Amino acid sequence: MELFGIFFAAFLINNILLIRFIALCSFFGVSTKIDTSVGMSLAVIFVMTISSAVSWLIFHAILVPFHLEFLRTATFILTIAALVQLEELYLKKMIPTLYRAMGIYLPLITTNCAILAVAFLAIDYRYNFVQSMVYSLGVSCGYSLAIILFAYIRERMALAPIPKWFQGYPIAFITAALMSLAFLGFTGMFGL
Amino acid sequence: MILTSIIVLGALGFVFAALLALAADYFAVAVDPRVSAIIAIVPGANCGACGAGGCHDFAERVAKGEIAVSGCVVGGAEVAKKIAEIMGTAGFTVHKRVAAVHCGADNGQRWRKANYYGVKSCKNADLVASGGLMCSYGCLGYGDCFCVCAFDAIKMVNGLPQIDPEKCTACGKCVTACPRAIISLRPYDFPVRVACSSHDGPAATRKNCPVGCIACKICEKTVPDVFKVVDNLAVIDYTKTGVDCGPAIVKCPTKCILQGGKNEQK
Repeated sequence: MELFGIFFAAFLINNILLIRFIALCSFFGVSTKIDTSVGMSLAVIFVMTISSAVSWLIFHAILVPFHLEFLRTATFILTIAALVQLEELYLKKMIPTLYRAMGIYLPLITTNCAILAVAFLAIDYRYNFVQSMVYSLGVSCGYSLAIILFAYIRERMALAPIPKWFQGYPIAFITAALMSLAFLGFTGMFGL
Repeated sequence: MILTSIIVLGALGFVFAALLALAADYFAVAVDPRVSAIIAIVPGANCGACGAGGCHDFAERVAKGEIAVSGCVVGGAEVAKKIAEIMGTAGFTVHKRVAAVHCGADNGQRWRKANYYGVKSCKNADLVASGGLMCSYGCLGYGDCFCVCAFDAIKMVNGLPQIDPEKCTACGKCVTACPRAIISLRPYDFPVRVACSSHDGPAATRKNCPVGCIACKICEKTVPDVFKVVDNLAVIDYTKTGVDCGPAIVKCPTKCILQGGKNEQK
């Protein structure tokens, strides 16, 4: 039940894109088409879960014993960058179809702030290993939900008669703001 | 404190670097050198006209021998020749193909039974009482083919698409875009087409269109090798190259067999 709570808190109530406003660059960048947003979502779910697990291990196994908690930014960036590279190499060899489906998004994700944020937040919340895994899964699913919904709306908007001065990013920002307001409605669900 | 942080971070960096170096070696994928050579040659439009999922997939499948070296329709003969050199099968000829429009009724000859005021697109018009046209087979004239052509090879002249055979790459986008399927691909060096798609009987076609094929079989009698009337419509056998179709073109009573070529008429 506690894990369930963690998952839904990350998934809906504290949605990383619409409530925390983290990783907005990819939110606006790859949401013009449903296909690309699905590919990006899959890649984010994959990378975020693995990278937060590895970051958690490195933080608790290396940085805490040496009292080097202040080094976590540098360490996590190093870890995530190396990990994404490794995953890319692995996928290319072992699962070429998956690599082709999300290959171009993997390098993009290396510098995605959401991945780093989740690694930090899982430690700030003092989650144990299982909890932090569930948390990062929840966050990445929340990311997917928000970006795919947004892509559906943007595809419809591309055909809508929008005034010239609102076309493109202005209307996208307004839409994102409205979606964010809608997601505020989840506050208080499950007593969270 | 400074020393431990330097050591820890340095060690982590070293471990990751070593891991990556090992992984790069262990997970190295042997890429067929021909694949990258073919990718360098093909146009890179990722149009999918070859049947493969993009140019990369095309190159891989050519290298495997699943697709012919002439498979890239956009690249045409030039690219096919280069790919053939890479694959070691040089010295064959490629038959270029171009799009052909099988309707000859422009705005003046297109008889209407109603006026269509909807969205100006063939796909939409076709859904509503056949776009207000008498003929339920012919060109609707809103230029869906013109819109999808990525090579500027289609011009709308008086409501009828005109193909530029020099620019056309036979990618097939217009063929699928036309809701009435009046565009097909013909060999470039066989510049004759039947400008009608109507399978209506002679009387019905006469009633609907001044330039439709009325299945009189005169073409079949004058040039029997090439022409054949199937299901009330003249069909050209494009495999019979080198046959002079001139007599049939001249004799066709509704002038629906047209000479194509450099400046494709109509």
